[in-house]
Amino acid sequence: MSDSKNGMPAEKNDQSRDDAQEYSLNDDRRVKVLSPGALIAKRFFRNRLAVVGLVILVVMFVFSFIGGLVSPYGQDQTFSTMTKLNTQYAGITETTSLRYSAAPDADFGALVQSSANTAISSGATSFERSGVTYTIEQPAPDLYVFRQGGEVVAYASTEVVSVPSGASALSFDFQIAAITAVSNATAAGDAAPAPEVTEEGVVVVEGGEENAAEEAAEAQAAGNTFEADGQTYSFDESGNVMDASGATVAMVSPFVISASDGNTVIPDDLREALLTAVSADVSDVAYTDASGAEHTYTISYDAYSKVYNVTETTENLVYDRYASPSAEHWLGTDGNGMDMLTRLMYGGRVSLIIGFIVVFIAAGLGVIMGGISGYFGGWVDNLIMRIVDIFYCLPSMPIIIILGSAMDAMRLDPWIRMIYLMLILGFLSWPSIARLVRGQILSLREQEFMLATEATGISIPHRIVRHLIPNVMPQLIVSCTMSLGSTIITEATLSFLGLGVKFPFASWGNIISDVNNAFVMTNYWFIWIPAGICLLLAVLGFNFVGDGLRDAFDPKMNR
Amino acid sequence: MASTNATVDVTSTKAPAAPGTEDIILEVNDLKKYFPIKGGMFNRVVGQVKAVDGVSFKLRRGHTMGLVGESGCGKSTTGRTILRLAGEKTGGDVLFNGREVYSLSAKELHDVRTKMQIIFQDPYSSLSPRLPISEIVGEAVREHNLVPKDELDDYIDRVMEECGLQPFHKMRYPHEFSGGQRQRICIARALALNPEFIVCDEPVSALDVSIQAQIINLLHDLQEERGLTYLFISHDLSVVEHISDAVGVMYLGGMVEYGYTADIFKNPLHPYTKALFSAIPIPDPKAKQNRIVLEGSIPSPANPPKGCKFHTRCPFAKDCCKEIAPEQRELEPGHFVSCHLYDK
Repeated sequence: MSDSKNGMPAEKNDQSRDDAQEYSLNDDRRVKVLSPGALIAKRFFRNRLAVVGLVILVVMFVFSFIGGLVSPYGQDQTFSTMTKLNTQYAGITETTSLRYSAAPDADFGALVQSSANTAISSGATSFERSGVTYTIEQPAPDLYVFRQGGEVVAYASTEVVSVPSGASALSFDFQIAAITAVSNATAAGDAAPAPEVTEEGVVVVEGGEENAAEEAAEAQAAGNTFEADGQTYSFDESGNVMDASGATVAMVSPFVISASDGNTVIPDDLREALLTAVSADVSDVAYTDASGAEHTYTISYDAYSKVYNVTETTENLVYDRYASPSAEHWLGTDGNGMDMLTRLMYGGRVSLIIGFIVVFIAAGLGVIMGGISGYFGGWVDNLIMRIVDIFYCLPSMPIIIILGSAMDAMRLDPWIRMIYLMLILGFLSWPSIARLVRGQILSLREQEFMLATEATGISIPHRIVRHLIPNVMPQLIVSCTMSLGSTIITEATLSFLGLGVKFPFASWGNIISDVNNAFVMTNYWFIWIPAGICLLLAVLGFNFVGDGLRDAFDPKMNR
Repeated sequence: MASTNATVDVTSTKAPAAPGTEDIILEVNDLKKYFPIKGGMFNRVVGQVKAVDGVSFKLRRGHTMGLVGESGCGKSTTGRTILRLAGEKTGGDVLFNGREVYSLSAKELHDVRTKMQIIFQDPYSSLSPRLPISEIVGEAVREHNLVPKDELDDYIDRVMEECGLQPFHKMRYPHEFSGGQRQRICIARALALNPEFIVCDEPVSALDVSIQAQIINLLHDLQEERGLTYLFISHDLSVVEHISDAVGVMYLGGMVEYGYTADIFKNPLHPYTKALFSAIPIPDPKAKQNRIVLEGSIPSPANPPKGCKFHTRCPFAKDCCKEIAPEQRELEPGHFVSCHLYDK
């Protein structure tokens, strides 16, 4: 308009003609004809809260139904990781001071030992103690033999002769002979570690009952033999002493290996490998036992206690329980190691479907029963309303709980159980809808337009479908959407109590029921807060949409 | 009240009957409609509300009969009972075009529905709020297959235009209309079935005066165009005087006086009619009004007085009025009164 004032006259004319058309008061121009559906939609979308509710619901639906398809994980897929677990396996102690061993019948007590120590450190060849003179011999670098009048009464060595598992005890003479031989051989430097040290610094041992005889023969060939008690023994580089048949009878080493667990028997070849590793200063030992299982041992030296700790590294499959949110699992994992977000999506699917089916069953039954009751009245009405009264008297929660535990006892398949749950919930919630529909129809029946339909001869089905139902619709829809919300809550409650939807199916309720103690609740917020928010949003959305629809359906609402 | 075959032998200017044949569209003989009162432990019937208790009249084709009386006297129930809209009647006959309405089969009744229609008092509750106007008007037409499907739309347009509505109103809902327009919609709905007889159940009492006139004139015009017959129920005497050819005055379920409009308004005979007519306001502030004020209030129809029902309030009541119900007698040609005052 303001333009036309300043503009050219010709233009002004055109403009005013347009304006005249635009502001024409012709009724057919003024009235915008909308179909009833469009009218309802228009009114609905004018309601901001309803739109918010609708958006929430759409998001929930997309999240639940499409999210489940998009998610790379399955609803009952568990996640686990191989974890290396270090367990204390054995301790290796190096003998650094001389250990004394007395002959079986000799008296070589602690006082004598201390005198012997003094003598050895001063380089004396004999010493006297309590009037007895002992002579000291050193047949091998690490061995001192003490004689009393020609008789060997004791020896002292940093090497320890230990008996392998299952072997018989060893004679004193044998011990001395073995230590002498081994110690001499070691000192001569011709003994190399038997197990290989790989380039990575790992001692690799192939376990099992290896060719012992061959090894003995090899040792004999190398000249590593000695004689004791009339028998010839051979020994290898690491101090294993074998008899003629090749069976290990003793081990001579400055190291003492003891298993941390009293029940564990350390296999000889492993012992050998560990000793080799210790002497070669290698910290990792790979060992394959007789059954072919691989073990990895790590040796660490504790300088304080002078003990080499052997820890066995075992690989275990560990479920990722309560994993925190990460790139793979946006909402972490639950107590079973399942992806929380995926569970939430599938749970939404279950919760929403159950809600809809239950309300559908309830509304169907309710409309039919309420409709019959309200329209026909009389004894039919009386009968149906008494049934409704009875249903109202039944405490639904205890019934559902009893039925739930009955289904537990029957060990029903979770899927069938879910169907029963829907039927039970639907069957228990129709009376309120029936009562609502009946009340509405009773009041509508008294309206003159119902009399008019009778007067104009409209058939009863048409009267019900075209005149009664549309007039009951707003209340019905509001009631249904509200009960959708409450059904979802009921289902969640039951699932929370463990009586509703069962594993492997997820539902928001049984997701929340994972939080069955305060520790989970306080530490793993990502388990229950998202499910709780989903429940809240879904119920809120249904309520908003219900309210919006009620307003939209009501033609008298002029908002 | 005894049943009498009282016929208004109309020889008025309007729609003269062919000689020899009395074109009676509706004949009501001693019509009774009682509503049970239920009470007590087992919903027993403990009494009856005698809403309509012996109403008789004949109505000629093309004429309008006014039915007047105070609230609760059974005018509306009479209208609905005639149309078989209030359940089963209690007694009497309703002959529509010579056929008993209550003995029609469901199928026949369905067909007869198109012939007799009703316009309700309340234009607000008589239109389904969820249907657009086209549907309200056209639904029954479709139900009865009165018009081919492809012509239905035009037909509805025509009917609506006839009733003073415009075609673009079709897609609107009842709440978008004023009371007068709604009443036009009600008339259009009744008219769409092309009826012969319409019960107008106080069609204008919910409207303001200027709209009342429009609606009355509309009804009047439609009657002239289509030769409709009206049973015009109202408690507005001036409206009834304006539109009716004959008038029936009801009191407590019974018809106390009945005759041509002119006769009755000129010369009311029954004491109740006199009292009723004396209540018509005269549009002159200086005119002195001789109002007959009735004592007491209308007795309960559940327990009507014995004898003449009006005797409890009648200023001329005699002893016999308390005992004997008066016969309906024809005092002037076509003017019937039920009152002991005119006993010979």
